[in-house]
Amino acid sequence: MGLSLRQRLLPLWFAGPALLWLVVFFAAPLVNQLSVSLMSGNSEVGYDLTWSFSVYSDALSSYGAEFARSVVFAGAATLIDLIIAFPLAYFIAYKAGRFQAFWLLMVVMPFFVSQVMRTAAWKLLINDNGFLVGTLRDIGLVSADGRLDATSGAVILGISYNFLPFMVLPLFATLQRIDRRLIEAATDLGCSRFTAFRKVTVPLAIPGIFAGSLLVFIPAAGDFINARILGSPNTTMIGNVIQNKFITVLDYPTAAALSFILMTAILILIAVFGRLIGTKTLTEAAV
Amino acid sequence: MAEDRARIERELDRFLAEDRSSRRRFLGRGAGAAFLASGLASVLTACGIDGTAAISPAQLAKEAASVHHPKTKIGDWVFANWPLYMDKSVIKEFDRRYGGTCKYVEEINDNSDFFGKVRQQLAAGQPIGRDIVVLTDYMAAKWIRAGYATPIDKRNVPNAKNIVSNLKTIAYDPKRDFTLPYQSGAVGLGYNRKETGRDLKSLKEFFNPEWRGRVTMLNEAYDSAGAVMLMEGKNPSTAKLDDMLAAIEKLREQRDKGQFRKFTGNDYTTDLAKGNVAVALVYSGDMVQLQSDNPDVKFVYAEEGSMLFTDNLMMPERVARPYAAETMLNYLYEPEVAAKLCAYVNYLSPVDGIRPILERTDPEIASNELIFPPDEVRAKLHAYPPLTVAEEQAMYAAMTEVTGN
Repeated sequence: MGLSLRQRLLPLWFAGPALLWLVVFFAAPLVNQLSVSLMSGNSEVGYDLTWSFSVYSDALSSYGAEFARSVVFAGAATLIDLIIAFPLAYFIAYKAGRFQAFWLLMVVMPFFVSQVMRTAAWKLLINDNGFLVGTLRDIGLVSADGRLDATSGAVILGISYNFLPFMVLPLFATLQRIDRRLIEAATDLGCSRFTAFRKVTVPLAIPGIFAGSLLVFIPAAGDFINARILGSPNTTMIGNVIQNKFITVLDYPTAAALSFILMTAILILIAVFGRLIGTKTLTEAAV
Repeated sequence: MAEDRARIERELDRFLAEDRSSRRRFLGRGAGAAFLASGLASVLTACGIDGTAAISPAQLAKEAASVHHPKTKIGDWVFANWPLYMDKSVIKEFDRRYGGTCKYVEEINDNSDFFGKVRQQLAAGQPIGRDIVVLTDYMAAKWIRAGYATPIDKRNVPNAKNIVSNLKTIAYDPKRDFTLPYQSGAVGLGYNRKETGRDLKSLKEFFNPEWRGRVTMLNEAYDSAGAVMLMEGKNPSTAKLDDMLAAIEKLREQRDKGQFRKFTGNDYTTDLAKGNVAVALVYSGDMVQLQSDNPDVKFVYAEEGSMLFTDNLMMPERVARPYAAETMLNYLYEPEVAAKLCAYVNYLSPVDGIRPILERTDPEIASNELIFPPDEVRAKLHAYPPLTVAEEQAMYAAMTEVTGN
């Protein structure tokens, strides 16, 4: 009503830097990538925009296996991380006492070393003649002439390891925020401690589970380093294909199309997952 | 435990530092992302992505015939090379003898990545700030065809006459107008004797089911597909695209059977030394070092023959100090200097007459068959086939489908 034009524009001014950031580093590259995906040509004559949508169906039919593998690997890693991170975050939030900061630091610590180094170290740990594989062979988890290196298992292991902190931190934040009196109330009202955990703690932790799962699944689905270092030619993920198309083959349209398909697939999977675990909005997870 | 840790650290160091290309590859990934981002940003301004059109051989020859680089002071100039590929005392001695200051940078970790880094400037006809670059055959060919190389004024490089006879001419640069070989390497059969239990000599071992899952071959399509062609008794140096694609298809069949542990850059060394891998397609230069650390690791020039790659000294277009670069080329082709370099890098030297010098100064190197292959081996070393840009792109497209790397 009584607001001057200047006053009404004020919020826009505040949002300006963020908007500019989004336009320059997100919207523009996205639009550009879309246009690149619709170009055709080769590295000698160059690429021109020809609106050839067939690249999308070709990419999907040629690389369906790699897409499926990426989703399965990333999904498995997310699940493994959740299983490891929940007790860990629970411990840090409720049982660590004054050592809380120390344990959080321990979780983040591996990030001080480059991801390539950490992954390469795994390659040494799981080498065929090493202690780990020897032990697994002795207890029968790996067959006598079997291996861990260059298998799907190794890639999933690498992804789980590399992205674990992304699951622990949001889970910790959510668990710590839970009002402990609710659990007390549940036990007062006759719940066993396990039932209270199942019916009170877990549901209240869902935003954290959702946020952690996103933070692990999204980068994991596009990851290529783990498959590159710990995998074999038979465990190629879609990230490797995209990377190859851009750098080695210089097939920019296919690479751009694959990136777009990956992005869309991830968005759909997230939406379905969110529905399944009952998170209504992403912002709920972000608090 | 402490010992274990020390060993892991050593292995890690080796994994990341010693072998040239494992680092090449890894660094490449980061650079790749940056390249991708810059590539996208650049096309935002234009509707399309520029290609790199080829210049005709006749025009290139004309350009080479008219080149003239007058003598100048050496001044400050830049030599871009691969890591661990130069005895630094050679550079110091050069500065001392000819004056000026050579800024020697080990910045080329991967042919494609380096090209990605300077491509924009080259395409725009701008100087790239390096006077000598070292590029492998196929990339050197790409630069020459695109007009990104400056011809060498041979009057400034009289020592070029010392080039070994089998490298005097090459398909993409028949008169060596634009390139001089820096070092060559053979692609041969590496194996871990402890794991194989017997000596190997044939490339057919790569497809032998006995080693299933314990074989590595190279990412480089020319090397791996070339090895397949040699295995089948074909000549890879005269291969057409279809021959290469057929060889790559054979690799795919084997991959589907789980034959390969990995396709690698130079990062096969750890797996081979540790015994994860029994048989590997390897570069001769890497093996000299690896063998001295681990006597179980063997290298043979396969009986069917070996692919030969050469890294080349060349000057980029609009080079700032061509005379300094040519003086260095001339210097590196002095047999004494080449001998010193060879003793350091352990690859095949393209300079004639260094063996007698090494017999005197470093007899162990002089008698090493990896560095001085016997004549019957030399006769079976095959250079990469000449493919056009489009053919090469098709070959790499097929190869990456198989390697997944």
